[in-house]
Amino acid sequence: MKTKRQNINLRELFRKKLEYAEVIPDAAVKSMLMRRVARKEFMRFNPARLNIYYIGGILITGITTAVIFFSESQNSARLNPISISGKLNKTDTSSYIEVHVALPIKAETANSNAIQNESMRSAEVSRLPERSKTEDSKAMGSYKNSNPIPTGISSSFSKNGLFGEVAPDKRKLQSEFKPEVILIDPNTSAGCAPLKVVFHNKSTSYDSCRWTFGDGGYSDQKDPEWIFDVEGEYKVVLDVFSHGGHLSSTASITVHPRPQAHFEIAPGKAVLPDDEIHFLNYSINAVQFKWDFGDGFTSEFFEPRHTYSKFSNYNVRLVVYSDWGCSDSLTVLNAFSGSEYFIAFPNAFIPNTQGPSGGYYSSKSDEAAQVFHPSYSGVSDYQLKIFSKLGIQIFESYDINLGWDGYNIGQLCEPGVYIWKVRGKFRNGEPFIKMGDVTLLKN
Amino acid sequence: MMSDQQIIELCAKHDRKAQQVLYDKYSRLLLGVCLRYATDKAEAEDILQDSFLKIFYSIKDFTGSGSFIGWLRKVAVNTSITHYHKNLKYRYHIEIEEYVSVETGVTSFEEDYFTSDELYKVLNELPTGYRMVFNLYAVEGYKHKEIAEMLGIDTNTSKSQYSRAKVVIREKLEMLGKLKSSYSEND
Repeated sequence: MKTKRQNINLRELFRKKLEYAEVIPDAAVKSMLMRRVARKEFMRFNPARLNIYYIGGILITGITTAVIFFSESQNSARLNPISISGKLNKTDTSSYIEVHVALPIKAETANSNAIQNESMRSAEVSRLPERSKTEDSKAMGSYKNSNPIPTGISSSFSKNGLFGEVAPDKRKLQSEFKPEVILIDPNTSAGCAPLKVVFHNKSTSYDSCRWTFGDGGYSDQKDPEWIFDVEGEYKVVLDVFSHGGHLSSTASITVHPRPQAHFEIAPGKAVLPDDEIHFLNYSINAVQFKWDFGDGFTSEFFEPRHTYSKFSNYNVRLVVYSDWGCSDSLTVLNAFSGSEYFIAFPNAFIPNTQGPSGGYYSSKSDEAAQVFHPSYSGVSDYQLKIFSKLGIQIFESYDINLGWDGYNIGQLCEPGVYIWKVRGKFRNGEPFIKMGDVTLLKN
Repeated sequence: MMSDQQIIELCAKHDRKAQQVLYDKYSRLLLGVCLRYATDKAEAEDILQDSFLKIFYSIKDFTGSGSFIGWLRKVAVNTSITHYHKNLKYRYHIEIEEYVSVETGVTSFEEDYFTSDELYKVLNELPTGYRMVFNLYAVEGYKHKEIAEMLGIDTNTSKSQYSRAKVVIREKLEMLGKLKSSYSEND
């Protein structure tokens, strides 16, 4: 308390701290206040609401009616036929009561029912005011439908003013007594795990607050930041305390699981562009896939296959999406750098004695090893030379698909050992030079 | 969410829903005002209720010039003053103590050392007259002349009550400060 930084005098202290300070009132204060308002409204004249003036008016009308009826029925043995015109005035929006008290009517046209029902009717009359007090809109309806209503009263009530509105209004009031103030303002209410949410406490002034994030975490900061690591539904509760008062507000945060992108390239040591590449998809929680093969081609298949047009360092990227739009990606840089480039030659072959084959071979057609040719992968430049033991070149090829068929200028060479020399370049740019010998066999 | 303008219009028609919305929106702020003028929270809540009744029934008089919050606060302050007058006879007492004209002791305070809760408590414990004058002068920013008119006292009474209130508050804060620092030392 002794002088430190930012000292202010007493007046400023109180003004700064208390001018806009907020204190949470007890929940009972609101209900009591609304009761007082309702009471006051009831005593105030307002044509739009049921209030004491209406009740009074109805009571007086009812009593007058009863008195008139009784005196009437006692004075004359004969009873008057009664007609009531109680029509509902629906079109008129302004609410009003119109009570016409018509004086005793037509003496002689009595119908017999009227006399019989006399006592019944008087009961009806005395019940009228009570019914009105029930504030039930149905009371009005039943009043209108019961045809033998005494004396010439034509009353028309505007429905919405008197009974129609009051009853539901009252119910509404009670249900809204619960104070539900929304104090939490998160920057997002749903997202992918791990989800970072910045919460904002909308109450402006209070003594302390406590956030409970629903995953076991809590904070006392005003506007905390929280990261939900695990997917799920979290109920975030903010309790605000001020001067003994307490206000609570909740918000729900949905954290969706994040998918995991994972794939494998097969074959493991693929040689471009010769091999067709299979992409094996091991992704989790994903429903949508976007492949980028790195050479400008893309695919949305689950497990696509792709053939590259040339060797290069390709970055293969897979982006996966879950149902909720959460995404994950995996990129394999230089996906084919581990590819195997090789060239290897057999040490023996058996030429076809039926005549020269020309030297073109394929792995299928040359199962009998009739052509001397390499097994290779990823070769771009190629030069093969075959020499006899005397050092004379007897064969040369610049085409890797063209091997030596064992013939030299149409003549089958003698069985024996020959020397081969190969030079060239792999597709990854690496040069190679190899020499060796091969034995020409005769079957 | 209704705008203030909508709330005002509906409240002028005595719409109960709008009244509740108004209460939910501003009751906390206004209780903050009322609590400064009351001896405890219960009394402050009484004043708050009266304030809202006044607000509901005279909202049509709000002209729209000036801020609505300012008007609400003014109603709350005036209600507090009315309340003070009403209860004057029950609690009017002035403690006989020496009038200290020279302000001694600590004259400046660090802003965040005391919580608003503690400051409220200090105010609530003040003699009522002191509290009224101090609030009106220090927090609401009225002049002593205006305060004198509002409370029906002499201008000089307002001035002297204000300086006495300051002395008492300062003592209380110092005591509280010592208490707090001894706590923190023990920690």
